[in-house]
Amino acid sequence: MNKSICNFLFILFISISSSIVQSEFTSQQEALYQHIIHEVRCLVCQNQSIAESNADLAKDLRIQIYNQINEGKTELEIKEFLLNRYGEFVLYEPSFNNKTLLLWFSPLILLLLIFGWYRKIRSPLIDTRE
Amino acid sequence: MPLLIFVAFFFLLFKGLYQGQTNIPSPLIDKPMPAFNLPTLGTDQLITDQDIIGQISLINIWATWCPGCLEEHEFLIQLSNSPQAIPIVGINWKDKTELAQLWLKESGNPYSEVLVDSVGKTAIDFGVYGAPETFLIDEEGVIKYKHIGPLSTQIWNREILPVIHTMQQ
Repeated sequence: MNKSICNFLFILFISISSSIVQSEFTSQQEALYQHIIHEVRCLVCQNQSIAESNADLAKDLRIQIYNQINEGKTELEIKEFLLNRYGEFVLYEPSFNNKTLLLWFSPLILLLLIFGWYRKIRSPLIDTRE
Repeated sequence: MPLLIFVAFFFLLFKGLYQGQTNIPSPLIDKPMPAFNLPTLGTDQLITDQDIIGQISLINIWATWCPGCLEEHEFLIQLSNSPQAIPIVGINWKDKTELAQLWLKESGNPYSEVLVDSVGKTAIDFGVYGAPETFLIDEEGVIKYKHIGPLSTQIWNREILPVIHTMQQ
């Protein structure tokens, strides 16, 4: 008798506590949440995102982001919030501005350089054959 | 020529390998400090950012769980007793009140006020990611300098004092 009451209370407790945690997010919000926490760097343990990190600060930031999504904030607003506090370094993807122009175009520049160099060493060869 | 490019690239990347990002520049420099409303340690009295405006001061984020805070404590005590002392506002970050009180009782209290940020919200607003962190605030409440890691006499003389001197001019 006692045992079955205990079991009942236990199941009741589990279902209430899980519903408290999960009830508030729609699947869209959940997707946004997952997307953002994977893009935010944990500054304590710098090669992990805050999704992966167990650091206290990562937890706090996840809670912040969770609350802000619940308040209806957009991805841009949340990223702005983080940038204003932690700076560029907090996001894995660097923003596109004057400072990062070279960074963004460096693959293209490298490719052009290699292409130019390749043409230069190739062309005399073709000339001699003709 | 290709070898030269290779060598240059090699050294560029090799240097990056050992550079690390321990001092991340704060976007808060030259901005007004974030607003807060925090209780003081052991009491219910609330203190806001507006209450500490009006003079050059330090905001020091610390906790008893933080080894670097233990390291700099001695220096903070020295500073608070020196002629060049400025108010040091401590923000006790995600700590236990009893432990914080015990710490200040046993190793001295360099702070003009000790505020409690138990949930870590104010720390996030300040862009804190590892205690101890210290912010230099001017008379208008604008953040002028941020130091990450323990303070020491050398760091004080080399990094913070020059900024204070330019502020006083």
